[in-house]
Amino acid sequence: MTLNTSGIKMSEKITFKELVELIAEQSRQSQASANSFIHELVSIIESGLKTSGSVSISGFGKFELRWMNERTGTHPQTGEEITIPAQNKVVFKPFKALREEVNKPYSYLKTRLIREEYDAVPAGFEEEENADSGKKSTRESAAGKASFGKKGKDLPTVDELLIIHDNPYFSGGKRQPEMEPSTPLPAPIVFSYEDKIAGEVQRSGSFKWSYAAAVIIALIAFMLLFFMMRDSAGPDIAQMPQQTEQPLPSPAEQPIIDRENGAAEPGAATDADTVQTEFTTDTYNVEAGQSLWTIAENRLGNPYLWPLLYQLNSNILDNPNLLPAASDLNVPRISNPDNLNSFEREQVALGYFSLYEWNRVNNPDEARYFLWAVGVFSPELLEAPPSQVNPDDLAFARNR
Amino acid sequence: MNQSELIDRLSEQTGNTKTKTKEILGNAIDVLTKQLVDGSGVSVPNLGTFSTKVNPEKKVYNPHYDAYILVPEKRVVEFTPATGLKDDVKYIGDKDE
Repeated sequence: MTLNTSGIKMSEKITFKELVELIAEQSRQSQASANSFIHELVSIIESGLKTSGSVSISGFGKFELRWMNERTGTHPQTGEEITIPAQNKVVFKPFKALREEVNKPYSYLKTRLIREEYDAVPAGFEEEENADSGKKSTRESAAGKASFGKKGKDLPTVDELLIIHDNPYFSGGKRQPEMEPSTPLPAPIVFSYEDKIAGEVQRSGSFKWSYAAAVIIALIAFMLLFFMMRDSAGPDIAQMPQQTEQPLPSPAEQPIIDRENGAAEPGAATDADTVQTEFTTDTYNVEAGQSLWTIAENRLGNPYLWPLLYQLNSNILDNPNLLPAASDLNVPRISNPDNLNSFEREQVALGYFSLYEWNRVNNPDEARYFLWAVGVFSPELLEAPPSQVNPDDLAFARNR
Repeated sequence: MNQSELIDRLSEQTGNTKTKTKEILGNAIDVLTKQLVDGSGVSVPNLGTFSTKVNPEKKVYNPHYDAYILVPEKRVVEFTPATGLKDDVKYIGDKDE
């Protein structure tokens, strides 16, 4: 019996008698004629193999002879080396229809890019990001730089692939329709933060989120740095503490977010060592064609932080999918999009929670993904939700 | 040998019309496929055993992205030829024979 890792129920192999019965039943033939039919079929396949070397059965597959050259092997019992003479091997190649039918339980799984080695990361960005941490060896930087030009060209594609793969809509066991670009979803790309942190600690580990995730992080960091330098008020990102080590404040203790429209004072750098209680915000005038997603991508450095914008601008936004053009948004300054501090994580989680509440009313089928995203940013908030949540959604969010 | 040659010979041997033969063959294939999908496999005497197995996910290098790709686990069909068939065709087309 075939071992099956994913719990698909499998019956025992059926006997030939049962097979004949099934075929007879389906063809409305007697069992005797079904039996002789199968025997004829088998003998014709064999003679076909002998005469032409291959037999195709449409909708099923192709039997083929493959000539194997002489090779050496070990005797399975004695372990001594033996010479296996050249001979034919019968191979069966299932056709596409059969392959797809058999693979159906796994068809929702997609290939994805992984980061194999730190060496493979374009170091131009990596250096900026870790300028003060000194954790990158010069050898790694040089290795990355040498091939950077080539990788840079592929970046958008890599990005797209990851986003498609990480879309929660593709992983629910069945494929869901693709999302509208204007309704970005809480996708689990945030996991790459943890990977990044763990990658610093245990570089040799077998991280599936490999190189591509690091490239995106590096890009985001670079964009953020660019914006910060332009504003000449950038906090020192390299000295940010790792957020996993900070205790997260409970949601009840969260202060009210500053919603003033006033521009931030220059030089108001975030001090990473003190507990942050509110965001320094800039005002941003929305242009036609923009969405919260694109603004989060451009201004915050990570599109998945868009609920933060929704949360901070709840006075003018109700439907998260509609963004009035020419409205003034409060855009927070965040310390480092790859390494949010506990306050920022909390706020993003609260943003996702607001989205969950909105979607619970307006889009109940997809609401649970937002609740799950809450837990990604702040497991504490998921443990103690600020208001009543649907128990099914909560179970989904906790067990996902 | 392709499908139509197979049907020709089958209908000759069983005495059924080609249409009928095609239908029965289609049904037989359906039953086999169903057994492979829902069950653990099926043995056909003198031909071999069809079974399925789940290939675990694996890491492969993709030169286009210059990166490694994680290929997810996949359920595939396996075929083990029957001993009789294997031995019968073993040296077909062997130049030395």
